[in-house]
Amino acid sequence: MKMLMKGTEAIAEAAVRAGCRLYFGYPITPQSELTEYMAKRMPEVKGTFLQSESEVATVNMLYGAACTGRKVMTSTSSPGFSLMQEGISYMAGAELPAVFINVMRGGPGLGDIQPSQSDYFQSTKGGGHGDYRMIVLAPHTLQEAAGMMNEAFELAFKYRMLVTILVDGMIGQMMEPVELPKWTKPEEFAEPDWALTGANGRKPRKVTSFDLDPYELEKMNLRYQETYKKVAQNEVKYEEFKIEDAEITVVAYGTTARIVKTVVDYARKSGIKVGLFRPITLWPFPYDRLSEISKNVKNILTVEMSYGQMLEDVKLAVLGKSNVHFYGRSAGVVPTPVEILDSIKKIVR
Amino acid sequence: MFDGKTKLYLYVGMFGSGKTELSLNTAIFLRKKQTHVAIADIDIISQYFRSRDEKSFLEEMQIKMITVPERYMHADLPIIPPEVGGYISNPDFLTVVDVGGNEDGAVVLGSLKNFIDKVKKSTFFVVNVFRPFSATKAEIISNIDRISQIGKIKIEYLVNNSNVGSETKFDDIKIGEEILTEVSKETSIPLAFTSVDQDMDYEGNLPVFKIKRFMKNPW
Repeated sequence: MKMLMKGTEAIAEAAVRAGCRLYFGYPITPQSELTEYMAKRMPEVKGTFLQSESEVATVNMLYGAACTGRKVMTSTSSPGFSLMQEGISYMAGAELPAVFINVMRGGPGLGDIQPSQSDYFQSTKGGGHGDYRMIVLAPHTLQEAAGMMNEAFELAFKYRMLVTILVDGMIGQMMEPVELPKWTKPEEFAEPDWALTGANGRKPRKVTSFDLDPYELEKMNLRYQETYKKVAQNEVKYEEFKIEDAEITVVAYGTTARIVKTVVDYARKSGIKVGLFRPITLWPFPYDRLSEISKNVKNILTVEMSYGQMLEDVKLAVLGKSNVHFYGRSAGVVPTPVEILDSIKKIVR
Repeated sequence: MFDGKTKLYLYVGMFGSGKTELSLNTAIFLRKKQTHVAIADIDIISQYFRSRDEKSFLEEMQIKMITVPERYMHADLPIIPPEVGGYISNPDFLTVVDVGGNEDGAVVLGSLKNFIDKVKKSTFFVVNVFRPFSATKAEIISNIDRISQIGKIKIEYLVNNSNVGSETKFDDIKIGEEILTEVSKETSIPLAFTSVDQDMDYEGNLPVFKIKRFMKNPW
């Protein structure tokens, strides 16, 4: 049975069904409904909901809870995500699995509460210090977002990495019919062999991002890099929409990709063959596939609700094989299908 | 559906149940019969998809929109415009009030109680059984109890706005009617009507209010 849900609610319920029983968070628009949903829902499933005094506290609660090898998560919006960056770096260094939801709003600074995609750099290039990566998933519908929660936890535990589901305020706030994912069976989730669960009767374990000896710390860093390499090889995801015969291919993710799908159909009705390439993993970015595509299309247009952040990755993939163009709105302004179509027309005509 | 004697129309309910859509449509419905109609947006909960987003459309229809000053339209602040009380009392106007969701939204009604109690009003509790925490009789009754306590308001009618957005089928609306009929039996609150999309030819056991859906996505 489908439910009529907000993006934030669909993500929260999907997380519960994926087996998350530990949620820490601090409300911030436009994602406060996720926190509120968890406040109601966690007691019903015998989980723990804890509202912290700030996002700095949240991320450190998450750090502690993740050490126990359980499925833990938080959700926030841009300024809150900035506050979490120190803890994110510590958790990445400690190789801890956890899921973050960032419902992006206009920035920088206090910005506004409208949808934006301008935390792309922060999420994909590392907003905290040190050589670390986090897996970044970008759904473009509520259904896709709900379906991603279980996968997010699986990836987090498979690689002992942090996973961010990066959406914007539009996906967070809009309502759509959603078929909620099936419940996972908690008994099928094995306790990881690194989890700190009390050393009674076994050797103590250690979870840390710290070593005073630079050679030992370098070894840890090389291990992280090995993991990131494996993720980049195995976990890249993308969607191709009508690109086979396209004279211009648009690259967009999340809400923007959703708008571009409408544009593709509009444009084709007026005789312009437009395709869409939609990265689903923003890190690892689908460099190889986009590189292949760029050999066969003259023009590529990157559309973002930011001023040329993903554009840098698109250029790295294309490396001059086709002309790369850009259209962006930001600060909470959502581009209309007509605006995007106009910018396509300027390029192809 | 609407009794013709009511001066004040209050829509309350859970978050995302359809109060804003119903408030807008009620104001339009009333405007076709009477010159002076006002809609008051006292939603302090939602930051997106609010009555105030339709201000220019309402002004074209010559419906008075009472909302926050223009410069605070996108502010993340719980602002109640001071003239709301005046429009609730003004005998020349039929006034529709779009209240924010959940008990946190209804709390505003408490502060307007002095105005509300002086006029002939109808308080509608909107339910969509396909929304979280609203799927069962027990959940709905608990929601009614909490919202009427916090809002210091007696719920006079139930409204079935059960829908799954663009994928709504007749059976879905019917399920809503069935669950709400049970709620009505237990609480003795009468069912006022079922609201359906204007393109649907639904007929059920209740009067049908055909509504235009305003909240659209940008694609």
